[in-house]
Amino acid sequence: MEILKYACPQSKDEAFRLIREEHGTAIGGAAWLRTNTKTIALGVDLAGLGLEYVREVGDHIEIGAMTTYRELETNPLLRARFGALFETTVSHVVGVQLRNIITVGGTAAGRYGFSDLNTTLCALGAQVVFYPDQTMDLAQFIERGAKVPFLLEKVLLPATAKGTYHQMRISENDFPIINTTAVWTGSEWRIAVGSRPAATRLCPKAMALLGADLHPSDDILASAARAAADELQFGSDIRASAEYRREILPVLVRRALMEVRE
Amino acid sequence: MQNNDYPIPLPNDAKLEATKQFNVVAHDLPKVDGEGLVLGRPAYTDDLVPPNALYVKLVRSPHAFARILSIDPTDALALPGVACVLTWKDIPRIPITRAGQGNPEPSPHDRFILDEYVRYVGDEVAVVAAETEALAEKAAGLVKVEYQKLKPVLDFEHALDNPIVIHPEPGIHEMFPIGFEPKRNIAAAYHMEIGDVEQELAASPVKVETTVHTQAQQHVALEPHTAFSYIDLQGRLVIVTSTQNPWHTRRLLGLAFQMPLRQIRIVKPRIGGGFGGKQHIHVEPYVAMVTMKTGRPASLALTRREVFEATFTRHEMRVKVRLGANPDGKLRAIDMQVLSNTGAYGEHALTTFMVAGSKTLPLYNKVSAVRFGGHVVYTNKVSAGAFRGYGAIQGLTGLEAAMDELAHKLSIDPVELRRKNMLHEGETSEVFRIMGEGTEGVAMNIESCKLEECIARGKELIGWDFTQLVHEVAPGVLRAKGMAIAMQGSGIPLIDMGSARIELQDGGFFKLHVGATDLGTGSDTILAQIAAEELGVDMEDIVVHSSDTDHTPFDVGAYASSTTYVSGSAVLKAARSLKTKLIEAVAEKFGVAPKDIVYTQKTFMTADGTKSLSLNDFSYDTLYHDGEKMKTIEATESFSGSKSPPPYLAAFVEIEIDTETGKVNVVHYVAVVDVGTPINPNLAKVQIEGGLLQGIGLALYEDVRYSEAGHMLSHNMMTYPIPSREDVGRITVELVDSYEPSGPFGAKSAGEIGIDTPPAAIANAIRNATGVRLTEYPFTPERVLAALKAAKTQHT
Amino acid sequence: MNITLRINGKQESIECLPGEMLTEVLRRAGHFEVKKGCDTGNCGACTVLVDGKPVLSCSYLAVRAEGKEITTIQGLADEAKKFAAFLTAEGADQCGFCAPGFALTVLAMKEEFSSIPDEAQIRHYLAGNLCRCSGYEGQIRAIKKYLEAQHAE
Repeated sequence: MEILKYACPQSKDEAFRLIREEHGTAIGGAAWLRTNTKTIALGVDLAGLGLEYVREVGDHIEIGAMTTYRELETNPLLRARFGALFETTVSHVVGVQLRNIITVGGTAAGRYGFSDLNTTLCALGAQVVFYPDQTMDLAQFIERGAKVPFLLEKVLLPATAKGTYHQMRISENDFPIINTTAVWTGSEWRIAVGSRPAATRLCPKAMALLGADLHPSDDILASAARAAADELQFGSDIRASAEYRREILPVLVRRALMEVRE
Repeated sequence: MQNNDYPIPLPNDAKLEATKQFNVVAHDLPKVDGEGLVLGRPAYTDDLVPPNALYVKLVRSPHAFARILSIDPTDALALPGVACVLTWKDIPRIPITRAGQGNPEPSPHDRFILDEYVRYVGDEVAVVAAETEALAEKAAGLVKVEYQKLKPVLDFEHALDNPIVIHPEPGIHEMFPIGFEPKRNIAAAYHMEIGDVEQELAASPVKVETTVHTQAQQHVALEPHTAFSYIDLQGRLVIVTSTQNPWHTRRLLGLAFQMPLRQIRIVKPRIGGGFGGKQHIHVEPYVAMVTMKTGRPASLALTRREVFEATFTRHEMRVKVRLGANPDGKLRAIDMQVLSNTGAYGEHALTTFMVAGSKTLPLYNKVSAVRFGGHVVYTNKVSAGAFRGYGAIQGLTGLEAAMDELAHKLSIDPVELRRKNMLHEGETSEVFRIMGEGTEGVAMNIESCKLEECIARGKELIGWDFTQLVHEVAPGVLRAKGMAIAMQGSGIPLIDMGSARIELQDGGFFKLHVGATDLGTGSDTILAQIAAEELGVDMEDIVVHSSDTDHTPFDVGAYASSTTYVSGSAVLKAARSLKTKLIEAVAEKFGVAPKDIVYTQKTFMTADGTKSLSLNDFSYDTLYHDGEKMKTIEATESFSGSKSPPPYLAAFVEIEIDTETGKVNVVHYVAVVDVGTPINPNLAKVQIEGGLLQGIGLALYEDVRYSEAGHMLSHNMMTYPIPSREDVGRITVELVDSYEPSGPFGAKSAGEIGIDTPPAAIANAIRNATGVRLTEYPFTPERVLAALKAAKTQHT
Repeated sequence: MNITLRINGKQESIECLPGEMLTEVLRRAGHFEVKKGCDTGNCGACTVLVDGKPVLSCSYLAVRAEGKEITTIQGLADEAKKFAAFLTAEGADQCGFCAPGFALTVLAMKEEFSSIPDEAQIRHYLAGNLCRCSGYEGQIRAIKKYLEAQHAE
């Protein structure tokens, strides 16, 4: 990978201008740059924008785009509000050394299929805020992308929720074959599935089946789990076939739901 | 993640008997280079490249099989800073093998350093050298190559007698008969039979047949293959390289370039892991070509992707085993038929395949008839080569699966079935005599075999109870146990040779020069331990220098589990011989007979106690003070084994299997091992622990995958993950007391045996858990679940 | 472009390209203790500390390190020697190629945990340091003994 010109703006306005008007490429965690073969005419480093934070604002939690996975994993506020959800979600991602580099913003913006984190964020109903003032559901953004170059500023989460993340990997430091996060928001169930191997999707039919009851019966859980597999598309790659993904997803969803229900 | 708090019996901390017998040997001394390596001092090839070296990049084939019609380097050469672009037209057309093996090599000479044909994706096409790495890479991209694409053969099951011939070219040949038939895509073939297998099988009341398919595997030594070269003051070619066999490298390069061997020096600095992956010439020819062409130093460090795509893998094999037995479990016949995939070239084709039989079949030496045979075929995939445990792991996986099937059929404890049939101390096997690595073997009596002890202790450690090998820990989640036993060898008898030179230095210390190649295993350390023990000095008194064709005596290199036994025996002989010379010299000085000299505590004394001289004082006398009697006292000795005493291992594994998802985890892997006297118990133990994890990787995780056109899909560590420290719950390795009379201080080998059992033991545990015999490796969750479902469908 | 890094407490001015990763720059400056293992951010051999936190230098933009404190194993040589003694006592150093990055992560872990981490925590913290030689067991034995000895001090 080659970067012809590098800029490290100190204001969001300037960063936004470079991205929009000078065709700058935003650089988040930058861990993927090394495997990229493209030439970047202008790299716009977001490291100078002060986007490293996890804070409570009003009725929600804001996570700055440059917040690292390691911060998500260890942040006391996230732990207090979501239990071990973030820790279990990101803990498989390579090692501490990479998690000290890669960012929530880079993951959301990249809409990566294999992502563990996007699955959990979508299940939590995360919204992404594009500078200066556009807010969008992350799930929607992952599905549709953006039409114009953007500066992803932060991710918004509800103030609290109860959720659990389940995944299947051939080995611990591999990418997931399939993953799912089930969340009880306090008033409804949400289920997201990622690494299909395509990117994360919500499971509206399965979510509807579960209704607004924190204690659905085992039968309802099982049928919701099956519904999740029925309503999604799966693909094949070197790690597993579409059929295998479809087959084990209900097992993971059921286990995730049961864990939250308890 | 596995729970590591799994309750296990405490390891046996009682020291081995050997520890009491020796002062230096059998003690856990730290590796001599350990601290320096941890601190990251420059030590590996890439740390030592001269600052003015040219960078070398290789143009590689994008096609699985093609003829090169033209190579146009004009654009590449036009870039300022590009030194040269070299192609097959720039070197003599000499068929060689890249396999680092004895002379003559048992591998066919079916390869040219560069050729008009390319036979796998990644095969070398041209060599580009430039002032910077980026420039070399850019220039490599500008070399225009026109190919005539040919249809490849990718499936090894369809290679034999395929109308597509991978090696139709003239001039290639075998060095001695190995069954080489390139027109049939056969790199090597072999057949042997003792007794009448068909008749014995027919007469056996109980028969089983099992076929396993083990996949290719990547070594993934953390240091990529790296070399640099330069011309020394005397105009000789010096190559510094991460090689396991400096002398073979020198000999093969001499052949390839038609150079006298005296013109070449090979130096091996520290190596960042090998496992057989550096037992070949992969980078050396290309830096040498550039240095010879330009007169300048040249360096080449493969990218990780190149290591994956264009070095070597383990041989993929299909192993079919048929057993015949009596109802009491007495084995009567073993038939093992193997098909092996050598990929594009035949490096180690024959030897790997032979070992599938020669290092497994003797385990069950009481049979009336045994047969082994099959073919090693070419395909248009990256070549297979040496890889720790080669052949043995594949053959054993088939054999130990069949043994467990037999136990199931007879409803007897698989442990007891093995005990009834296995090799014991004082016995032999005809297979030793008939099968070696290069066709014929060497007869040998087993003087040390503590398999019984290994099994007994292994059962204790895992808590083996035949009546309860499986239990449910959660709905759909089973824990189950399985086992397997294994043997290896210790060097290749009458072929492997190592030498050592020890010289007394002023200050009373010794310089130990060995050709042996420490690839991270700690052989410099254990060889120094052997010397120190015999010379009655401390470890600090031995300074080791190894693996330099100019400055150390000959050694075939580090492979075939040879270093401790072969090179170690050479060191012991040299130390003995030196001790004799020292005593003779002191005796002369004292005017007494050598038998009247007592040497102890680094001091020489006359038997009557009247005269005494410290080793330190003597070292000054002989080098500075003794006038015309002054001399350097040194000894050089060599060793080539007349036998290859096997180490033995009993493995017991507890797995957890999720029957709803197919995921299998290793909860606890126990290996109890007879390596003879461990020269350094900790280093031996870690060798085995590391081997076990590689074997577990083969069993469960690692797979070399290709696209339909023959492009490798698993070409980096993202797509080919190696086991991390969170994959396996716990590995317990214990060594048992054993003493091999033919080995140095009773030692046998430890380097390879660790890798052999996991594929079989894990398969046997899954069989015990579910009743399903898995045969297609690796056991990914998808494969396991599919097999469980298929079995269910069959039953209903 | 030119960047100024503090490497092991010493200010160094280094030429680098805007897209270059820290590993290349450090090795070019003679810091051979930073190893190149995998090219894809998987193995951990290139680990350095940036402002005290372990990062993969192969995946860390060199320009981003401007003005930051970079620590390689050489910068913590005294402490590394203590750990090396435990590692070599177990025979778990083996080929040593992963060792500098691995040892550095062990030292970072020790700083990050206020009490002695349990085995699961150790395995998890170090999961990004791959080793193909040792099977990890000996490393774990060494780390536990080292941490206990440090704690006792």
